[in-house]
Amino acid sequence: MNLDALIPDYVRRFQAYVPSKPDHLLMQEYGAPRLHRLNNNENALGPSPAAASVIAGFPPGQAAIYPSGDSYDLRIALGDRCGIAADRFLVGNGSCEVISSVIKAFCQPGDNIITADKTFAVYEWVAEFSGIEARLVPLRDYTFDPQGILDQIGPKTKVLFLCNPNNPTGSYWTRQTLIDFLEKVGGDKIVVVDEAYREYVEDPEYPDSIALMERFPNLVAFRTLSKMYALAGLRVGYLVGAEPVVAVVRRTSVAYSVNALAQQAALAALSDDTAHIAATRSLVREGRAFLCQVCSDLGLETIGGEGNYLMIRTPINDMLMYRRLMKRGMMVRTMTAFRFPGWIRVTYREMSVMVSFAEALAEEMRLMPMISGAT
Amino acid sequence: MYKQPITSKPGSVTARLPFSASFLPLAMELVAKGAGGFGYKDREASSLVLAMEELFSFYARQVAGDSVLEIILEDQGYRLALTLAFQMAHPDLRAFNLTWRVNPDNEESLEMLGPMLAARTVSSLRMDFGADELVVLRVTRDRDYAPARNVALPPPDLTQAIRLVAPSADDVRHFAAMTASSSATFMPKFLTRPGMAADMFAAGHLHALLANSGDWIIGGVLWRPLTDTCLELYGPYLFTNDPDDLVLTLLLDEAIGRIARSAYRGVLRRQGALARHERFFDFLGDLELQGVDGMTKHCVYYYRQLREDSGGVVYCNDPLAAFLHTQYERLCLPRQVRARVSDDAQLRDTSVLAIELEQARSLAIIRPLCAGKDMATNLAAHLELLRRNGISNFQVEINTGRGDDTAFAGPLADTGFVPRLLVPDAGLGDLVIYDHGARDGLS
Ligand SMILES: Cc1ncc(COP(=O)(O)O)c(C=O)c1O
Repeated sequence: MNLDALIPDYVRRFQAYVPSKPDHLLMQEYGAPRLHRLNNNENALGPSPAAASVIAGFPPGQAAIYPSGDSYDLRIALGDRCGIAADRFLVGNGSCEVISSVIKAFCQPGDNIITADKTFAVYEWVAEFSGIEARLVPLRDYTFDPQGILDQIGPKTKVLFLCNPNNPTGSYWTRQTLIDFLEKVGGDKIVVVDEAYREYVEDPEYPDSIALMERFPNLVAFRTLSKMYALAGLRVGYLVGAEPVVAVVRRTSVAYSVNALAQQAALAALSDDTAHIAATRSLVREGRAFLCQVCSDLGLETIGGEGNYLMIRTPINDMLMYRRLMKRGMMVRTMTAFRFPGWIRVTYREMSVMVSFAEALAEEMRLMPMISGAT
Repeated sequence: MYKQPITSKPGSVTARLPFSASFLPLAMELVAKGAGGFGYKDREASSLVLAMEELFSFYARQVAGDSVLEIILEDQGYRLALTLAFQMAHPDLRAFNLTWRVNPDNEESLEMLGPMLAARTVSSLRMDFGADELVVLRVTRDRDYAPARNVALPPPDLTQAIRLVAPSADDVRHFAAMTASSSATFMPKFLTRPGMAADMFAAGHLHALLANSGDWIIGGVLWRPLTDTCLELYGPYLFTNDPDDLVLTLLLDEAIGRIARSAYRGVLRRQGALARHERFFDFLGDLELQGVDGMTKHCVYYYRQLREDSGGVVYCNDPLAAFLHTQYERLCLPRQVRARVSDDAQLRDTSVLAIELEQARSLAIIRPLCAGKDMATNLAAHLELLRRNGISNFQVEINTGRGDDTAFAGPLADTGFVPRLLVPDAGLGDLVIYDHGARDGLS
């Protein structure tokens, strides 16, 4: 079989993402006695009590039955919550799935999307393996650069992806910045704001994107149950937009992609989020204060903002720091693939883990003269 | 690895010929006329014609009567690349040992050295063996380029803002001349020949990022593929004072950022020492090379992964196992080293080695192809033969993920080869590089 002849050029060029191995294998390979994941921005508190009890009580018989093909009840609940029609929501198998649907819905070969160079990579990846050009605009002061993006817009630009707050820098646009930007873009491009970490932001100036959709019907928001709601393992995220826009994206989405347990757990999680969000925010606040102080004491530069993560500049290359911390059972995210070589990103977790991480980091810093002396 | 049926590309000439002596003139003519057609001078063309003559006659004798030879002559802008590919139903791989049928005590038998002779005239020669008993020989001949002329360098204390720029081919040409004028040490050939750097850049075989200040280019960094999994980085070359490594850091961070989402798993830098390298690279070790001028050069190997490591298992025995343990420990690489259980009696009688020759550095890179009972004698015979042919540097590369390679560990030690460093993920598994020399009192 001549496989090569079957593969489109843009797929041949694309390099598949390799997810990390399961914990037990990683621990064995690195000889680590424990493994704390501080790499995926998960919520260490786990799902809220209501969601937890739905998960624990899931009737096995339901596994034999197809779920609602369009997450019907979940969309009704989302609509009620936001005071808008349920048809303005499209639920996906994680928000990653709706990224794909949006690109498929609006882009054809020759078109382009625009996003930042140092942000969540999936917008760029989906565009590239679909044969769509991804134009990358450098961050300015670690923040999405409105003018830089506007300058890149061309006649073939279809979708602009903004990550608000940005993963990994934690910076975000206020309501006013977003409005100014939307006004300049005009109505003939789709503007996506990925709000995966919105529930972590406490600033009242943070935009209410749904409210802005009245005025800017080309605005689309992505949200997820993976982060604050701690359902990453069940894969639920959604998109919300003006009805005509969502109707188009629905055409390129696969029905039945969200499983029954995920739909039910998401419903429960949304119904019971006040205390959960407060507790998570407090955990993040405490973790941030602690870790920023630790880094400052160790003389390490940090970049952080909103979201449950912090970037730390490492005195050795980030890949080596990752491996060294892995040996100590601490899994962080290297930032090379985010185009921030020499930085790691650490997820805030419960204080006991933060303290262990700080000890591991301090120990590495103590050993640093020996590591760097090895020429 | 070459495996596709030949499809013609715009810059290439391709042909399939019966692989027998009577077609030798046609094969030579094809190279001569093809090179001329691509605009290469006679002198450049004639070395490839000679290589074709030597390789064709040497290997045509080894193959079965009905074999077919596929020839690709490709103009890569800065060099001509000639690929010869053929299948051997039951290859007698001994034929690919340079030393086969050569008796070093008998000058006459040096006549058998077709590949050696071919290698002398070209820039590089390499043999690869693929699936389906496919043999691929590649030779390249660089265009002749004028050496760099002196150009002006910026004053050492420029104060204007620094900008990183994606250069044009002309910028790369000028930058190469600047590196030559700055008498930087460890210059790859393409920087000493600015036209070559520009042509390589235009062909997409070289990438670069420059730093500008005002009207001046004040530094730059270059990179190009070394293997399918590894890039090689050159520089940064800096022409002004950079007391806080500001320009160096800008260049390296941006360059690594640009290649971070590529197919490559790592970046290697093997030049002189880089002060305060640790933020960018892991230190792997260093190798000595005897220059053609008699001077010894230290190549310091630095490396950085581009992706989080995904682990691996190596099967091998001491002394290699001990070396690997130390390296894996030092570099914190998650690898398990397990004892290799193999019965030497099961080995075939003869081992096979492939050689890559690089004339400019008088360097032979030896790569095991097949393990065999005669590994130590075969290695020794190759050393002897290559030495007689004026080669003064020897390196052996073995893949930790390949049993035929790791089987060479004992014989390598017996013949005076010393493992010097390990390049993670650079081959099938990691690559261990040995050299051979009187360094540290070893011989
Ligand atoms: C900015 C951003 N968007 C989307 C996602 C993906 O979320 P989901 O789990 O809903 O696919 C992530 C997860 O890391 C993220 O950081």
